[in-house]
Amino acid sequence: MLFQISEQVVNGIVTGAVYALVAVGMTMIFGVLRAINFAHGEYYMVGTFGAWVAIEYFDLPYPVAIVAGVIATAFVALVIGQFVMRRMVGAPAEAGVLATLGIALILQNTVILLFGGGYKFFEGGYIEPVTILGVSLAEQRLLIIAVAVLVFFGLELLVTYSRMGKAMRAVSQNVECCAVVGIDVRKVVVRTFVLGAALAGLSGVLTAPVNVSVYGGMGELITFKTLPIIIMGGLGNVRGTFFAAMILGIAESLVATYVGLQFRDTVGFATLMLVLMWRPHGLFSAQARY
Amino acid sequence: MANTVHRRAFCLLASAICLAGAPVFETPALAQDNSIRLGIVAPMSGPNARYGAFSLRGAQLAAKDINAAGGIDGRKIQIFSADSQGTPVEGVSATRRLIDQDKVDFLIGDVSSSVTLAMQPVVEDAGVLLINAASSNPKITYAAGVGGFKWSFRNYPTDENRALIVAQYAAEKRGFTKFAVLSVDSDYGRSAIDFTKKYLPRFNGQILTEDYYKEGEVDFRSVLAKIRDSGAQAIIMYGLADTTPIVARQMTEVGLAGKVPLIGNGEFNTEKTIKSAPKALEGAVEAAAWLPAWDSPKSKGFVTRFTAEYREAPNNHAYVHWETVNLLGKAVEAAKSADRAKVRDALAKIKYDSAVGEVTFDDHNQAKLPMILLQIEDGKPVVKGAYSADIDYPR
Repeated sequence: MLFQISEQVVNGIVTGAVYALVAVGMTMIFGVLRAINFAHGEYYMVGTFGAWVAIEYFDLPYPVAIVAGVIATAFVALVIGQFVMRRMVGAPAEAGVLATLGIALILQNTVILLFGGGYKFFEGGYIEPVTILGVSLAEQRLLIIAVAVLVFFGLELLVTYSRMGKAMRAVSQNVECCAVVGIDVRKVVVRTFVLGAALAGLSGVLTAPVNVSVYGGMGELITFKTLPIIIMGGLGNVRGTFFAAMILGIAESLVATYVGLQFRDTVGFATLMLVLMWRPHGLFSAQARY
Repeated sequence: MANTVHRRAFCLLASAICLAGAPVFETPALAQDNSIRLGIVAPMSGPNARYGAFSLRGAQLAAKDINAAGGIDGRKIQIFSADSQGTPVEGVSATRRLIDQDKVDFLIGDVSSSVTLAMQPVVEDAGVLLINAASSNPKITYAAGVGGFKWSFRNYPTDENRALIVAQYAAEKRGFTKFAVLSVDSDYGRSAIDFTKKYLPRFNGQILTEDYYKEGEVDFRSVLAKIRDSGAQAIIMYGLADTTPIVARQMTEVGLAGKVPLIGNGEFNTEKTIKSAPKALEGAVEAAAWLPAWDSPKSKGFVTRFTAEYREAPNNHAYVHWETVNLLGKAVEAAKSADRAKVRDALAKIKYDSAVGEVTFDDHNQAKLPMILLQIEDGKPVVKGAYSADIDYPR
């Protein structure tokens, strides 16, 4: 019984690591833009497709495909950042919602137009199972956890010590003051946006081998899982997002086991409602943004 | 200033789009008048898009060959396709679009049972003949023919038939008594399990765990670990083709592969699926309306023709749509008219030679068709026989 629960907690941490990688980008973008990026799942999809194209059309090995997927996502994000997200600085909240929803539709349908709407097989990755303390996991999942931990460690360093990180924090606190002291707000917004989207792309490439299927609409589900996480974590809070993602991953895993798989998707929003009733600013919002 | 430029650019762009799009919006009614106007409602996007693509290709192939041979009494079949996205809401609007805008007289659709159930009242109101070719929920023909809907027919075996023969094979040939359920959360997945529950006691079978997954679900580790710990001997799965490889791969991960087979339906038998996790799929049992390995001259002929045309082997959905377009052709031929009501009456009385046996319709407009049972042995699907079961209509 105890072993069973601990195995499910491990499963939850694996799921949580994927959510965390996607959600952290979304929360950072919210921090600087004050807008929920509804297209965030689409960057996850673009990353996966980038890697799939690299493997399927160019016969590249998986590690190279990871890089290709992330670069493809960063490029798409840079174009969208320059043309759309830059203009969202200081724009009303509805503008952000409409723009990002529109981008989500465009990205999804472009991919469907280019590659067809069917599911594609993702070859590659490290799918052999290994057993650690009796729990059997695909090697790929260990890679996902390791990468998630490294990314969060790196992000902590970035926002605490680097010039760019400090600028991001500043923008998230007060846009006008940043402009006064000479921080190029638009540049910070675009950079944060590209970084956040690239992380979503990375998460997509890393999960593809275990999820096997790649298709145009795969990002939507991720966006809706990410939304409760970033609200629970306290919008714009990197560390909070990490813990909220883990909590959701573990809760989902336990519900799938002890209640039923069909109730899994309700967990996110049910937890969100409880959090909003009990701590409306999120679980970890006592700290400043970032 | 910047604003004016933008607006001007927008106007130019918009007019360019309108001009480019103009020929597309031309009314199709100008086309040849004596053609047979056939609408195909299928999921062309979303999680079932694979089924939709195969369905449309199967139907188009049949129409192409019929038209190349001079049509039916000189009438060519003209196909109009609409995307149901696998959801009832989109399916109904796709159906309305085909009926109102494309003025179709005949419809084939949808793959998903939930969509077909929603389409039935729409075609009934419009008086358009619907021949379903790929939905297996028994309710569809419970409510057709003497059951109510006069314009709905189904040329596909039902879940009731399927659930019975799968349960029987698992119990009698494989000796399983303890089962876990992992099906898709839809009218198809749930009703197949309802019928399995109806027949399992007959074979002393019991269900230990019961779970349903949402379309698009990718994480099965938790539920598979639970199934492993429950001591089930087989997993009853009425699922989606695109999800099968995900489940199979995660079965390998949690250590179920080679120990607990999948039984039910969900395209366990395609080369790609087996390749994704060969160990997990070994010994899987599936009941399908058709599969490429089915040995009859007409079936083999179809596989060769389809593969030559699309450079890809057909699946079950390609076959049933191909066969149903041919069936419709025969009904038009027998009716000596493309009039909807005459074709409907001809269809009710038809005796049609399909690749899996003779097709006749009962008073519920349900085709009498067998289910083909197969098992994966050494990474290849092996046909274990074709079984028919009489449908027990609720009174």
